[in-house]
Amino acid sequence: MAEMLRFCAAAGLIRYSEAAVAAAECRGRRRWAAVRCSSRAIPGQEAASRLVAGVGAVGGAEGKGLAERLRLGSLVPDGLSYKESFVVRCYEVGINKTATVETIANLLQEVGCNHAQSVGFSTDGFATTPTMRKLRLIWVTSRMHIEIYKYPAWGDVVEIETWCQGEGRIGTRRDWILKDLATGEVIGRATSKWVMMNQDTRKLQRVSDEVREEYLVFCPRTPRLSFPEENNGSLKKIPKLADPAQYSRLGLVPRRADLDMNQHVNNVTYIGWVLESMPQEIIDTHELQTITLDYRRECQHDDAVDSLTSSEFAENGSTNGIATTKPHDQELQQFLHFLKSSGTGLEINRGRTEWRKLIR
Amino acid sequence: MLASTTVSAFFPVPSSSSVVSAKASLKAITESPENLDTRGNVAKPISSSGTMEVKAQAQALPKVNGTKIGLKIDAQKIEEDAPSASRTFYNQLPDWSFLFAAITTIFLAAEKQFTLIDWKPRRPDMFGDAFDLGKIMQDGLVFRQNFSVRSYEIGADGTASIETLMNHLQETALNHVRSAGLLGDGFGSTPQMSKRNLIWVVTKMQVLVEQYPSWEDVVEVDTWVAPSGKHGMRRDWHVHDYQTGQTVLRATSVWVMMNKQTRRLSKLPEEVREEIGSYFVDRDPVINEDSRKLPKLEDNTADYVRRGLTPRWGDLDINQHVNNVKYIGWILESVPTSILESYELAGMTLEYRRECGRDSMLQSLSAVSDKSPDGSPDASIECQHLLRMECGAEIVRCRTDWQPKHAQGL
Repeated sequence: MAEMLRFCAAAGLIRYSEAAVAAAECRGRRRWAAVRCSSRAIPGQEAASRLVAGVGAVGGAEGKGLAERLRLGSLVPDGLSYKESFVVRCYEVGINKTATVETIANLLQEVGCNHAQSVGFSTDGFATTPTMRKLRLIWVTSRMHIEIYKYPAWGDVVEIETWCQGEGRIGTRRDWILKDLATGEVIGRATSKWVMMNQDTRKLQRVSDEVREEYLVFCPRTPRLSFPEENNGSLKKIPKLADPAQYSRLGLVPRRADLDMNQHVNNVTYIGWVLESMPQEIIDTHELQTITLDYRRECQHDDAVDSLTSSEFAENGSTNGIATTKPHDQELQQFLHFLKSSGTGLEINRGRTEWRKLIR
Repeated sequence: MLASTTVSAFFPVPSSSSVVSAKASLKAITESPENLDTRGNVAKPISSSGTMEVKAQAQALPKVNGTKIGLKIDAQKIEEDAPSASRTFYNQLPDWSFLFAAITTIFLAAEKQFTLIDWKPRRPDMFGDAFDLGKIMQDGLVFRQNFSVRSYEIGADGTASIETLMNHLQETALNHVRSAGLLGDGFGSTPQMSKRNLIWVVTKMQVLVEQYPSWEDVVEVDTWVAPSGKHGMRRDWHVHDYQTGQTVLRATSVWVMMNKQTRRLSKLPEEVREEIGSYFVDRDPVINEDSRKLPKLEDNTADYVRRGLTPRWGDLDINQHVNNVKYIGWILESVPTSILESYELAGMTLEYRRECGRDSMLQSLSAVSDKSPDGSPDASIECQHLLRMECGAEIVRCRTDWQPKHAQGL
């Protein structure tokens, strides 16, 4: 059976990923299908033989098998989403002894990247389709929304499933669901909106039907949303902070490590900057539950950025003259954020966060 | 207790029955393992809600003080002795997978015990070797773990950054201590150390890099410990490219003991020596010690200064101190782009002087030595660095060696 599957995959009759998963199950092993079909723009024949070697390795042979097993990610059988598992490492854990939100965001980015690669999109970090590359178009994030219900700790294994689909006429969206692999419980959800931009002119562009056809084949046929509920947080508009902001941290600069392969500030760095102006009393007593970021402008490696934060309901602080509870006592805290260029004052990002009280 | 729907939620792939039973059992854990001792050996019935009673014998690993959970179980020694009424879930499974469920139950119950101990990481041993969490090698001394380089760990030049590599070293050091069953409170402290409020602090680190891995390469990290003087410890690493076997880097570090509260250095207590002494390897350092003095840079001797560096929330560890790998990133902040673009960091020697926290404002100073008098492009470059607080207090002194980059097609 396994041999037949391999033959079919090599002959291009069935999808590589399906062959791999089916082969793994044939062996009846309790092993996550770890073979990824990474075409990486290498000729089909070579890809097929690499896959065959990989499929053979799923059975437990050492050598190439370990590399595939370590990555532990693959398309699910219907090919419409991608799953990968990650162990949380000690240096990814922050002051709360759990993974930081930057770590989570990095993993979301990683699994998105690996998904794109596994369906044959480019691996230059842009996940572009062939037509997009021809037209010098790239995807840029316009909104990122992450909700975390339970932060994983060091040594925990997180399984992330991701998929993408079209979003209206101008963009696409990518959704994620995070689960604790040991318990199967959902520990977080995320969604993001992307638009197309010309790499050279940096101008936004509508998604043409040509491009849409290229990637839609990998998307679920019917809409599948990680936030299916009505009026969910990922849809909320983010107002601009009232001037003056309650808290600020000025003059933040990108470090070398913040620059991605294309010398632009990594999306995840913005999350860190937004949180920089959070007051210590909230950081000490609360845990970030939700973050929504609207990306407006890019930041270059030599820009400096100001981070501003205000409590979302600061104006309603004292209602009817009754003394309100202190900020660090309240269960759920909401904040608005604004990132702007220190020099020009132009908006880079705006955001909203929700924080839940930590039980210590 | 269990239905097939939970299984399908966990894993939407139709599977063979053996796979079903394994995953089903993962959901079965609701019991509190009061009867586990802290070392994780199952002594008695795991729960009061009537699941099976099992005894398991963990395979002892050589040269380890104290007992711990081994990764293997001697399957024949497992007995089950449960009232039949409580076996409704298990009755649904074929017989042999019952045994399997028993094994995973034990591991998960043990895992639960770990979660009760504050911050200690849950140890999903039931995943076996599906996730490489590293293991102590046959000799009982060397710990080995493999890492796949993730996309966000790649620097601007398409290869893993030096920080990524140093992070791997840190992870293996902790996993080594954990595998040895010596994880007390606080990162890397053994139980005897935790009792005395002692922690290890690194004083010196030397790294020699031979090649930088790329995205999706797998690196194999070996690490071991040795004594350093009478009261210190040395930890060495040797990293290979898993596919080719070639050396990626070698590193050696020196650690001393410090009291967490008083922040004063401490001697190595006898009780701690008993805990870790059997792990000490009688080996020369993997890198010949570079005993050249590291000079202290000043504003007038530095060629480049980068001011206004501040720790972000994400830079802090559980003690709200800056993770010492972050220092390397800051040190490199004051290295001019011209060097970073044409040269590769081949060696680094660091002397850690002080730690810093969230409120520190730091400055990074660099001075470039003229290595070769004729300034030929193929020559290597040496730099001196200082990371200090605004007030002048030194955090780290460093020397770096740079080799011209190979002309590689990226």
